[in-house]
Amino acid sequence: MANGYIGKILTIDLTTQEVGEIETAKYESWGGGEGMAAAIYWDLAEDKTLTDGTDPRNIIQIMTSPLTGTFAPSAGGRVRVSYVGLWGWPVGYLTGSLIGGRLGSMIKFAGWDGVVITGKSETPVWINVIQDKVTFENATDLWDLDTWETQEFIWSDVMERELGEWNYLGTGRDDGRTTQRPAIITTGPSAEKYGPWSALIHDAGQAAGQGGSGGVFASKNLKALSIYGTGGVEIADPTGLMEARQWVRGFSASGNLDDLKTTAMSVPMGSSQGVAAVGYPEGMKARVHGCSGCIRNCKGRTERKMGNESRCLDFLWYSSFDMAAHKGAKTDAVLVGCDQVQRLGINSYPMMSTVLWLKALYENGILGVGKQIESSLPYDLIGEEEFAVALTEAIAYNLDIGADLALGLWQCATKWGRLEEDVASGWLPLQASGYVHHYDARHETEWGWGNLFQERDHNMHDFNYFVFWAPTIWGLMGMEPEVSAERMAEIISSKMVPFNDDPNLIDHSDEGIYSDSMIKLVRWHTYYQKYYKESLVFCDYTYADFINPYGENMEGVTPKAEEWLTEAVTAKGEKFEDGIALGRKIYNLERAIWTLQGRHRDTEVYGEYNYNPSAAPFGLATYEAPYTVPMRIDGEWVYKSTNSRSLDKVKVEDFKTRYYAAEGWDETNGWPTRATLEELGLDYIADELESYGKLGA
Amino acid sequence: MSELIDENKEQVTENNGMSRRQFMTGVGGVGVGVVLGGMVTTGVLGKDDIYAIAASDGYLLVDSKKCSGCMSCMLACSLMHHGQTNLSLSRIQIVQDSTEAYPNDLHIYQCHQCPFPSCVEACPTGAMHADPKTGVRTVDDEKCIGCERCINACPYTPSRVQWNPIDKHAQKCDLCTNTPNWNNKEEGMLACVEACSTRALELTKEIPMQTGLGYDVDLGHTSVAWQTFGIISE
Repeated sequence: MANGYIGKILTIDLTTQEVGEIETAKYESWGGGEGMAAAIYWDLAEDKTLTDGTDPRNIIQIMTSPLTGTFAPSAGGRVRVSYVGLWGWPVGYLTGSLIGGRLGSMIKFAGWDGVVITGKSETPVWINVIQDKVTFENATDLWDLDTWETQEFIWSDVMERELGEWNYLGTGRDDGRTTQRPAIITTGPSAEKYGPWSALIHDAGQAAGQGGSGGVFASKNLKALSIYGTGGVEIADPTGLMEARQWVRGFSASGNLDDLKTTAMSVPMGSSQGVAAVGYPEGMKARVHGCSGCIRNCKGRTERKMGNESRCLDFLWYSSFDMAAHKGAKTDAVLVGCDQVQRLGINSYPMMSTVLWLKALYENGILGVGKQIESSLPYDLIGEEEFAVALTEAIAYNLDIGADLALGLWQCATKWGRLEEDVASGWLPLQASGYVHHYDARHETEWGWGNLFQERDHNMHDFNYFVFWAPTIWGLMGMEPEVSAERMAEIISSKMVPFNDDPNLIDHSDEGIYSDSMIKLVRWHTYYQKYYKESLVFCDYTYADFINPYGENMEGVTPKAEEWLTEAVTAKGEKFEDGIALGRKIYNLERAIWTLQGRHRDTEVYGEYNYNPSAAPFGLATYEAPYTVPMRIDGEWVYKSTNSRSLDKVKVEDFKTRYYAAEGWDETNGWPTRATLEELGLDYIADELESYGKLGA
Repeated sequence: MSELIDENKEQVTENNGMSRRQFMTGVGGVGVGVVLGGMVTTGVLGKDDIYAIAASDGYLLVDSKKCSGCMSCMLACSLMHHGQTNLSLSRIQIVQDSTEAYPNDLHIYQCHQCPFPSCVEACPTGAMHADPKTGVRTVDDEKCIGCERCINACPYTPSRVQWNPIDKHAQKCDLCTNTPNWNNKEEGMLACVEACSTRALELTKEIPMQTGLGYDVDLGHTSVAWQTFGIISE
């Protein structure tokens, strides 16, 4: 039956160079992406307690969803990469990262729902998948190439004709032809040298960054995966998909080009296209660019082929330093910064915190030539191209302090003897699990809670657009809010099925951030993330769409869009709340794996700066502004600043206790209980946890 | 029809000393419209022995500078025609080089519905023909013998005629005159146009200029949408 799935998953054993298949139907109940990968990991992992991501027994999975390869708007172009990571604290947990572009769709067009890679090659290889044929190619000469050079090599090697001609994927008339290039995911040069930082890059700037996916590739002696196909994705209801897409498009800039709304809200679906352009120097000519099937088109390609397909932190890690050094103007330095991280395959997300940390150490006489931490990087040139190049190359090639940084930030700080002091002061803002501060847990508290209970920075902006950005921008600009705090609370709460009977879900008052309503929000957010965002791979930059300037009474497309689009592709009769329930199931499966990896209530702790009143009150990331958030005070909804707020450790611990109880986990250690796992149909997982003595009581 | 074409090819070349391509180039879009407009047959010999077939009722224009490269048009095209999203079955092709500079990073290749279609001329069975009702150049699947002459005859690269390895016949853009998987399609709607996220595609009834960039034009809307974030498009 046409339901968006191809029907088989490719398995590749690098140790034996054996290739096999898994029937997708066995795992379809997990949706796709993260859920499917977690279920497969549970079944295939030789040792689920494994925490060293460089161990040959680590499994790396690149998993699509039924929507991948379709034009389900801002969902069809994404794929999830899963693996035991290299960055996390205190150990590398099973983690992963989403990646866009055309990789996921090409995996499906080649005839696969995903790729599962196990083992370790004896020699450097890259994997060449052409339809159902898999070969292992010598990557010795590619090992030191950057990500763009590697892809250029493989494109020219695989394609028999020039780009833009019909390439024949076989010798027979009916073997299939395509004008497209193979989709490639690759590491940067010798990524084993900077494994925790190493991202997998696809095309110019699509990246799977968090947790060191490139380092996992390198540890397996794997340079790249190239995939090429000419097949298709059969869909249950083509007309329904077109209708659903057009309906969704009506809520986007794409569907309103004649009547664009100007809004100060950093809204997801309703934002203007080409948002990447905020990172370009003034006057840059460019096109907007979108992943396969997208309507949001958040990226771009420029006339000087600098900054191509970069976005957000690819720019932000260096843009404020560039502007500070150039009288407020953006220069090519920011684009050089983009291209350095893309070409070297460095995860851009921790780069800004790294520069801020090094800058503080340098300006306080701790770091530099002849200082406690010896370094001759050109710190006086922060903001110039030279420093961007020097720092990224130091990390990638282990130059100067790069060999220490390359270990990962918490590992580096430990080696330098600065972990405790610098985390407490906020110089090195490691928020939770060793991942750097993205948004502030003291103010936009839901972001922090999500991180505290997961293995990495969740990087999910569903509430962030409205809880932080919108009211903060309105405040900074002296604007009348486009949506009142009361209306915002009403809209968002109404869409959070099945917790939609609670009107106080987004209350970020001093009491609200520790409330039972906040527990419901954190639970819903995690379930939504686990299923819709990371398993069905709806793009974080477009969904959830709570408030939308094009919607009737400002209401966005969530949850109708997610349900409609999924149904058009799969015809499973799945309701939105079914997906939320499945998200909970996926979360519990992963929680069980993390538990076996050693996760415990005692390791779910915030960095000390969150409790320290003398730490910087905000601005630990350069894009942050003094936080204004929605809250309910004396029964009235208001937007209010929280700038003097620190977290209360006693209240945080109490929140953890109540959160574990709400999840049905053991309050003393945060482990899943048999009752909860059996309720979710995960009896076999309860049995295994029990065999390890790690079943919650 | 094929015999007519073959005979005509000789007549035109011999009688006028000018190839059909030279003729079309010389006349240009307006001239072609005058010459061919209103014809409903698939091929005739005019008074001056110039062979012509009916003009298409429509032509697909693109604005390659505005295209985002999301390929939604390709996915929609294949889905509405074949019930599956499949880049290789799409009758419009977007080709991209992600590390190249704008605007050379992307090209759109769509059928021109050529006023003088080489694909039709090359077909030995009449499978490739101009639809009597709409003039659109399209394939009668039942008549196609799989010789691929039409594919090779297309003067453009990549060929706008493609081989369908599933159903075993040639195919090309039919301006959505045959989309069995699109139940509520309204007249004149094209799947690619409907799916386009940037309005980089547009159907026109006017025959585009046959020289230069007649099919790749500025379709407008660019500045309003893009300059919100400072993107400049020419």
